[in-house]
Amino acid sequence: MRDHILLFVNGQQHRIDGAEAFLTLSDYLRKRLGLCGTKIVCSEGDCGSCSVLCGSLDDGAAKPTFKYSSIDSCIRFIYQLDGCNIVTVEGLAQEGELTNVQQAMIDCHGSQCGFCTPGFVTAMTGILEEHDQPTECQWRRGLTGNLCRCTGYTPIVQAGKEASKNPSPKLNELFAAAPMATAIKDGSQDEIKIEHLQAGAAQSIYSPTTIDQATEFLAENPDAKIVAGATDVGVQFNKGYCQSSDWLDLNRVTALKTLSLNDNAIIAGSCSTWAAIEQLIESRLPQFFEVLSWFGSPQIRNVGTIGGNIINASPIADSLPFMFVADAELQLTSSSDIRKVNINDFYQGYKKFDLQPGELLTQVRIPLPEDDEVLKLYKISRRRDMDISTFTGAIKMKLSGDTIESASIAYGAVGPVVLRLPKTEAFLVGRNLDLETMQLAGDIAVKEITPITDVRGGGEYRFQLARNVLLKFLHQVRPAGAIA
Amino acid sequence: MNEFNAPMPEGTIAEETIAGGSSVGKSIPHDSAVGHVTGTAPYIDDLPRRVDELYVGFVGSPIASGTLDSVDVSIASEVAGVACVLTATDVGPHNIFGPLFCDEPFLADKELLYVGQPVVLIGAETEEALDAARKLVSIETTETKPTFLIDDAIAAESFIGPKRQIKRGDPDSAISKAAHQLSGEFRIGGQEQFYLESQAAAAYPGEQGQLVVHSSTQNTTEIQTMVAEVLGLSQHQVVCICKRMGGAFGGKETQAVIPALMVSLVAQRTGRAARIVYDKDTDMLVTGKRHPYLCRWNVGFESDGEIVGLKYDFFSDGGAAADLSTSVMERTLLHAENSYYINDIEINGRVCKTNFPPNTAFRGFGGPQAVAAMENVIERVAEKLQVDAYDLRLRNLYGDSDRNVTPYGQLYTGNHLTEIMTTLAISSDYRVRVAALKEKNQNDAMRLHGIAMTPVKFGISFTSKFLNQANALINVYTDGTVQVSTGGTEMGQGLNTKIRQLVADEFGIPFPDVIVMPTSTEKNNNTSPTAASAGTDLNGAAAVDGCRIIKKRLAEFAAGLFASPEDGIIPSPEHIVFAEGIVRDSRQPNSGMTFGELANKARLERIDLGARGFYKTPGVDFNRETGKGNPFLYFTQGAAVAEVSIDRFTGEMVVPRVDLLMDIGKSINPKVDMGQITGGFIQGMGWVTAECLVYDDGGKLLSHSPTTYKIPAITDLPVDFRCEMFPNDDNLHCIRRSKAVGEPPLLLGVAVWAAVKNALSFLPSDADPNLKLPATSEEILRCLTTQS
Repeated sequence: MRDHILLFVNGQQHRIDGAEAFLTLSDYLRKRLGLCGTKIVCSEGDCGSCSVLCGSLDDGAAKPTFKYSSIDSCIRFIYQLDGCNIVTVEGLAQEGELTNVQQAMIDCHGSQCGFCTPGFVTAMTGILEEHDQPTECQWRRGLTGNLCRCTGYTPIVQAGKEASKNPSPKLNELFAAAPMATAIKDGSQDEIKIEHLQAGAAQSIYSPTTIDQATEFLAENPDAKIVAGATDVGVQFNKGYCQSSDWLDLNRVTALKTLSLNDNAIIAGSCSTWAAIEQLIESRLPQFFEVLSWFGSPQIRNVGTIGGNIINASPIADSLPFMFVADAELQLTSSSDIRKVNINDFYQGYKKFDLQPGELLTQVRIPLPEDDEVLKLYKISRRRDMDISTFTGAIKMKLSGDTIESASIAYGAVGPVVLRLPKTEAFLVGRNLDLETMQLAGDIAVKEITPITDVRGGGEYRFQLARNVLLKFLHQVRPAGAIA
Repeated sequence: MNEFNAPMPEGTIAEETIAGGSSVGKSIPHDSAVGHVTGTAPYIDDLPRRVDELYVGFVGSPIASGTLDSVDVSIASEVAGVACVLTATDVGPHNIFGPLFCDEPFLADKELLYVGQPVVLIGAETEEALDAARKLVSIETTETKPTFLIDDAIAAESFIGPKRQIKRGDPDSAISKAAHQLSGEFRIGGQEQFYLESQAAAAYPGEQGQLVVHSSTQNTTEIQTMVAEVLGLSQHQVVCICKRMGGAFGGKETQAVIPALMVSLVAQRTGRAARIVYDKDTDMLVTGKRHPYLCRWNVGFESDGEIVGLKYDFFSDGGAAADLSTSVMERTLLHAENSYYINDIEINGRVCKTNFPPNTAFRGFGGPQAVAAMENVIERVAEKLQVDAYDLRLRNLYGDSDRNVTPYGQLYTGNHLTEIMTTLAISSDYRVRVAALKEKNQNDAMRLHGIAMTPVKFGISFTSKFLNQANALINVYTDGTVQVSTGGTEMGQGLNTKIRQLVADEFGIPFPDVIVMPTSTEKNNNTSPTAASAGTDLNGAAAVDGCRIIKKRLAEFAAGLFASPEDGIIPSPEHIVFAEGIVRDSRQPNSGMTFGELANKARLERIDLGARGFYKTPGVDFNRETGKGNPFLYFTQGAAVAEVSIDRFTGEMVVPRVDLLMDIGKSINPKVDMGQITGGFIQGMGWVTAECLVYDDGGKLLSHSPTTYKIPAITDLPVDFRCEMFPNDDNLHCIRRSKAVGEPPLLLGVAVWAAVKNALSFLPSDADPNLKLPATSEEILRCLTTQS
């Protein structure tokens, strides 16, 4: 059992224990190391000013290699980062030599007030880690997690294109992986437990490496707060809504990150990140891929997990409507048992679900649509990217000619949980897919939902969307027939 | 300001500028670009912390309207590490401040005016102690009925300042005699500045009661004078310094005062350094924003499209105190006709008092609301007459030789609007795309398309005459390098870069030989805010004036050095030339010495190498009582064509293409200016589309962070975005024939809104859905639903 974290910052090793292990990464960088290049604006992972690059040892590589991706340091805890190398904006220019991205941002006037710039520079560096010659679309899509209020982004996109004209040294060249790999190798399978006392109250974090260790811990500490990607817990923590004394960190349980796709289903360990899932399903399930590309930002998807989205139980969770109509199956594991639950039966009320004390969501199996099924997904938000949905929907139908053989509909943000619309579904079965059917279906659908008015939109708007996505589905599936 | 000690990496700067040629006109990188991209450019929160330093925070009013019955800070004061807990009674006699009217309490004493209004101020040694103390403050209040709606404020006659009017002719009669009339009410939403660096200030106590205040402010003098007044100090005891801001957009013109007062009071009371950095939620909850407006309009027009009469009643939501609201409304009145000559026109403006944080400056300063209102009228008239709105706009544009006097009586000179719009119509393929639109909309069952071109004519100068002045301090050193200081503040807009270029050119020295120093009231006193787009116009001109004073002395000295009477060359300062790093006598091309050599010799001869420059804008004056005068030195002009594509089922909108053409004179730094154009436009686009301020029933802002308040993201950038500058060197009024650029492009964002309006006009119903601003997807879907 180890009582500290080994963390590298710009290649330099830090041994962190006690209270510091509970800090957010951005606080540690700014307040402990004095690396103030990383900026804090929102403390909720929505602006990207705190973006840094997080490298972890790539297990699949032949020689020691770190794989880097951008993350929001304000919603990442130190205890989640054992064995990682964090590259901050200060780490990029070595011996005064600017990187291509930095020089291009200067030349293209990509900075004005400069406050968002370190976050952009690191996120852009992350894009170049992933793609040698990113397209304009990849530059734009890769930077949806970074807000700039000054430039209108145009010069930043130009800077990206300029930076990729010449090859940049990769981060593995700037930060030699081998010595870091050696330093962390021996302890990689250690369980880690860090405890400290703050103002008389004890706080602890336990970080296991196997599912058994995790479930055994949960059996003894059923109230422990579970942390995977921390993209929501981190926000709650920063805003003072989440105080827990015992934390269970799942980041080092590699078995929870296994991810595969076969002919019938996606099988995802609960700690699979959205970035990994996105990559896996791009060609096989483009509808879900599109929703995922609007889900959060690259920084969020690089750490946010499928299990987190399910257990967070938000009625506006972007992945849920699809998983509802797909009849996804959740595997719940305790120290003594494994059981499986259909996701449609899992939720019981607002933020309430069928998870017994000591149980851990370990795997999600999502059956893929059959070849003769039509699937359309909807995510409607005030802003296209990096926005929490005002309305989400999934419609899946099996058609025989014009006849609807089966229909599954799930809507989010219209009730305390994501809702299936059984009456609407039943109405549709056996009818012709046409305008009249879908208009009548809309009349039924609005009776099955209870949307409220909130900061993201009015109840009336959501009612109208509940009707309109049915019509949109029709136009998408039967464009000619709909007009006639 | 304490810069970090970390070595500053050298960024490369294009070679031609290092060689010492002319800097002006070149796209030299931003003054701080290297610091930005390496993370070494410090902001207030990055300053090294002093050992004695206190974290400062506050507790605000829980209600929007009512009385403060009691405040109990006794338990909070006992928290270990808490150094002071202060309330209005600790502030002293001058607890009231304000930039125009002295009507805003610093800490609430009796009346509570808006949710979050500061009531209790805390200084603590740690953030934890500050948080703990905050939670232990007890505030007892009695609620009274708040005013949240402009309509309610109008009904209750709850106003700030007098009604203002600009009027020409007899609009009532012109409207009634016209062939057609239309009227309506138009609602315009507010907008959060959303600077990335939240409000921040740090204060350091000094000797003799002095205070040094570092503030993220557009207005160092305002901070200095307000701190002195509220703390009972004299102005010479307070120094305000601003190195840079992480964005401001008007939001730090006056609203930086409260955080500066907070740290100053704590520093004065405790004798310790004190710093506050608002978190984003707090910043958005308690600071003022762009004013929401209600506009009542009534227009008369002929069948050929001529708008002959127009009446406007503008009502703005000023919030709970005056702040700059009356000046903002003044600029609305002065831009209400946008780019159009309307012979008979009446524009009335009133600022409503409500229970929101005092609304304040935001890029455009009342102009955007005016232009949106005018373009709404244009779209309505075009739809009524079934003509293309672009033709209607051309029909009504200001003329060159006639129809060229504004409603307030200023002769509009330098008008290039017709040329700009027709040029843009060609380059954007406007006619072809409009012609295709009807069929496109008929055939596309999924999406609805619209297109619009809107112009802008933005008046440059402060409408308060006295603010149109600036001073500059120029220090020449004996190695030929130069430090410049002005009252202008750097918020990202590139002011420092442009001033360096101007000064380098005056002395004929390379750009890197000039540095712009942090803005400080110690060097530049009685300065104006960096606002009204006039930062470079004013401070650049003052800096050049200072350079010329020194050049005159040096020219006289050099004339003596270079003279050779035996060759018939008598001393002649007029022939001394400063160019390419060398000072020479133009009659002796091979003579001369470097600027540094000359400076060094001059010092030995006891010649003063420092100067203070001064500039005041000539010829501007406006009488707000009569609504007549010449408020502006010149106008920055431009136009934009925007195309939108709307999802017919969800109301979601994308902007496939925008073409933009701006007349900004001869640009001092084209890429800096282009950054203002693209950035301003996108900010304007945000205002008219997705940026939405949502409050709960108690008047508390719900959209108080980027999770819920959506400024444009990088993917909202038009897919095809073409920005050009209109070639123009006729602006003799401004330094190096340049033009101000900060605000005008923002007003072109209205083109996106007008394009949505245009798209909706293709729907079957004739009833106008009265699209509000912003045109959010929810608002668009409302219109789609009611019009289908």
